[in-house]
Amino acid sequence: MAIHFAHICSANDGKSLAMTTIITDQKGEFARGLRASAPVLLGLVPAALVLGAQATAKNMAPLAVPLMTGLNFAGGSEFAAIGLWTSPPHLLLIVGVTLLVNSRHLVMGATLAPWLRQLPRRQVLPALFLMVDESWALALADAKARRTEKSESAFSLRYFLGVSAGLYVCWVGFTALGALLGPVLGDIERWGFDMAFPAVFLVLLRGMWKGFGAAIPWLVSLLIAAGVCLTLPGGWYVPAGAIAGIAVAWMRSRP
Amino acid sequence: MIEGWTLATIVLMGSVTYLTRIGGYLLLGDRELSARTMTILEAAPGCVLIAVIAPAFVSGRTSDLIALAITAAAAVRLSLLPTVLIGISSAGLLRHMLG
Repeated sequence: MAIHFAHICSANDGKSLAMTTIITDQKGEFARGLRASAPVLLGLVPAALVLGAQATAKNMAPLAVPLMTGLNFAGGSEFAAIGLWTSPPHLLLIVGVTLLVNSRHLVMGATLAPWLRQLPRRQVLPALFLMVDESWALALADAKARRTEKSESAFSLRYFLGVSAGLYVCWVGFTALGALLGPVLGDIERWGFDMAFPAVFLVLLRGMWKGFGAAIPWLVSLLIAAGVCLTLPGGWYVPAGAIAGIAVAWMRSRP
Repeated sequence: MIEGWTLATIVLMGSVTYLTRIGGYLLLGDRELSARTMTILEAAPGCVLIAVIAPAFVSGRTSDLIALAITAAAAVRLSLLPTVLIGISSAGLLRHMLG
């Protein structure tokens, strides 16, 4: 789907998009984005509590949890980081895995770029700090819908910021709350909370599903990662599995 | 108090994540990407995600394997929240029942 958007956008003349930019009622746009974030929060709040509780179970300082979720603000990589967390943490491994998990942002940013040409970089660069799967998807869908109305500008930065603000405040707030409640919840593994993590990722994978052929690199990643996990200590199964799968994707794409 | 090594890890995590967010906009936005590059960029996030959860598949605990199968079946049909709830409750219940 991401590629599809990119082609539509690049086929369009960037200048004509810029000419149609009209900044309408800015407060209204922010509030509209905030409202659009509400359904997403239903899924986000429990995940944030689980992440915070898992961090406490891994002996992470309660203050470090909102610091991480506030500075990083990318759930998938934070679940991965907590999964690999030790005291002290293995810095290179965690930062490397964060980079790998969040590499999809590169594709997301690239698909958004044609819509952002009308805006100055000094506004875009800080705003992109808040780009996550959900705010990206909502803002892009909104921009597409508004362009067909042909009256107003396509991409609404205020709408994007409204969606993002709702997600950011709740994510940071509820991960912090989860970290504080963690000791009350006790041994979270006994209650099955650790299964939230595979559950979240399996739903994300379902969203990326493009048929069995395209899933072959994933299967390779799973097998290699499982094999390395059983034979080597530490978290090296993540880069081993990921690189093996990406290599297979590279070989399969050979023309 | 936050220990120095923890702080460094968190600050670096945030930095590389921000670079991934602006990287696509700054580097790839004006360029046409080859179909091959796009195929690889599309496959990469899934490879990473499944590698991260691989240990759950080889835990060796019967309760966890059944719970994982139930969770995977839920993920195919349901959205995030119900899938997470089913995953947690099935793992919790099966561990109590099967030990």
